[in-house]
Amino acid sequence: MKQETVLEVKNLQTYFYSSEGVAKAVDGVSFTLQKGETLGIVGESGCGKSMTSLSLLRLVPSPPGKIINGEILLNNTDILKLSDEELRKIRGNKISMIFQEPMTSLNPVLSVGEQIAESIRLHQGLSRKDAWEKAVDMIRLVGIPAPEKRAKQEPYQLSGGMRQRIMIAMALACTPDVLIADEPTTALDVTIQAQIIDIIQNLQKQLGMSIIFITHDLGVVAEICDKIAVMYAGQVVEEGTTDSLFEKPLHPYTNGLIQSLPKLYEDQEELSTIHGTVPSPYNYPIGCRYAERCPFATELCRKKQPELLTIEPGKKVRCWMYSKEWQGATLMEEMTV
Amino acid sequence: MTLFILKRLAQIIPVTLGVTLVVFLIMQMIPGDPAIILAGEGASQETVAELRENLGLNKPLAVQYTDYIKNLLQGDMGHSLKNNQPVFEEITARLPITIELAFYSILITIVLGLVAGIISAIRPYSFMDVGLMIVALLGISLPSFWLGILLMYLFSVQLHWLPVAGWDSAKHIILPAVTLGAGGAAIVARMTRSSMLEVVNQDYIRTAKAKGLKGYIIILKHALRNALIPVITVVGLQFGSLLGGTVLVESVFAVNGLGRMIVDAIRTRDIPIVQGGVLVASLIFVFINLFVDILYRIFNKRMDLN
Repeated sequence: MKQETVLEVKNLQTYFYSSEGVAKAVDGVSFTLQKGETLGIVGESGCGKSMTSLSLLRLVPSPPGKIINGEILLNNTDILKLSDEELRKIRGNKISMIFQEPMTSLNPVLSVGEQIAESIRLHQGLSRKDAWEKAVDMIRLVGIPAPEKRAKQEPYQLSGGMRQRIMIAMALACTPDVLIADEPTTALDVTIQAQIIDIIQNLQKQLGMSIIFITHDLGVVAEICDKIAVMYAGQVVEEGTTDSLFEKPLHPYTNGLIQSLPKLYEDQEELSTIHGTVPSPYNYPIGCRYAERCPFATELCRKKQPELLTIEPGKKVRCWMYSKEWQGATLMEEMTV
Repeated sequence: MTLFILKRLAQIIPVTLGVTLVVFLIMQMIPGDPAIILAGEGASQETVAELRENLGLNKPLAVQYTDYIKNLLQGDMGHSLKNNQPVFEEITARLPITIELAFYSILITIVLGLVAGIISAIRPYSFMDVGLMIVALLGISLPSFWLGILLMYLFSVQLHWLPVAGWDSAKHIILPAVTLGAGGAAIVARMTRSSMLEVVNQDYIRTAKAKGLKGYIIILKHALRNALIPVITVVGLQFGSLLGGTVLVESVFAVNGLGRMIVDAIRTRDIPIVQGGVLVASLIFVFINLFVDILYRIFNKRMDLN
């Protein structure tokens, strides 16, 4: 099957300027997304995954945030170079987004049907009546019973799970090429999480879109993603297919993340953790950003930042261990001992 | 909703009783005998005593008050002590003027306030915003009688654009209405601005942007409707001070409205007129508050659940 690149992000840098200094929230992130593919972006809180997703639609709150560098190519058009008007036509139409908080992401004073219908009217030019009917269809599609009645209701009359389905219906109403789902299940019960994920996967098959799934939940990622980008301190530290990443994680951080997952069938006294804390985005170390927490770190790691190395096609890692220099460095250390 | 409206209407009874009682007692407390004032300086003791007897001022206070309420229940608001005209007629002759003045003032308050508030909120900390907010600060700080005199001096005395006083044409309405509405407009502008600034940072505004909606739709449909909820409360409160303000503004611009009628009646101790005037003003206030609460519920449907 010939792969078709829908979205390509190159060296994206989103910084925040405040009185405390410059926070490098997203610092040189690159990835590609193929048609129909699901990419998971994982990492702990504050690693820049949400800011990466907001940057894709230029929704970073500005000021204080600013995209200072990079390219975001949607079907070979650079989103960062578009005029406001051109950007507006892409938002909600070619790229849609589902947010983390279904409780606050819907407008409390407008009916949910109207909130879905307005983007249909805008992007597809349908009449008020047709757009409303399509909105009702979308609500039916995401599995909400009595869609005609629900469409007329306001968000406060719906449960959290239903609101998130409404968000999905809204995001998919114009059949976008790319859906960005920013922790869409984090605020929901586990049973509802599974339903929401099922709905997203089914709709992906029906509509053939690509998905960027942002989460800190490795379980969810393992279930639905084709490939994964692991982020740490504003950078991608490892990228690969889901299978390869779980079977053979290359980066010590990825390994740490997988090790710290609770295991259901093993007798565990204590959960494994990664020691230390994430460095402050205002003051990243000059070397590898994970070096302070890494059990394998050497002088080289602390002095110089590693590049994102391509190990094999589709498999990348940002770690000195996989470089030519590493062999030399370890040899040098052995010799001095 | 119907139950809510009925409940609120029932509240009018205690409010009316309270207002009449308080006004009645205050009028008794302030120095000056209506009979003496009415009889004129140099009137004989006998004339004054007779007048007092005729007006029923010799009766005990409790009797005077219950008589008043009894008559009120029969639709009789009494007669003016000064010219013996029915109070009801005096009021109906002047009420439309005050209502007209109040209507244009509140229109100025809402339109100017909202427009200035939205413009400020769209570009916070810009020149426009800072300028508008300084004007708003002035609007809040200046007492209306002083602002009225300043406006009168500028537009009537110096520029001769508008008439000094009176209530004959549309031109006459402009200065009093602006004077009365300015303070409210300033408060509404500041409230709208802060409310809008809070709303535009909400998640659902980000959702609206992510949908690719046009800027003005995001502002007017998604942000303003939510931002209006606290603004409606402020506008409602503003009505109260507006009714008080008519007293001052009508005096400054020699407008023959309800406010001025009450002031004149207080001066001559014309108790029935004062009581009637204040009663009508407070009833208007109660109804406006009810209207505002209903509006509030329409805009904020979540409240209706309770």
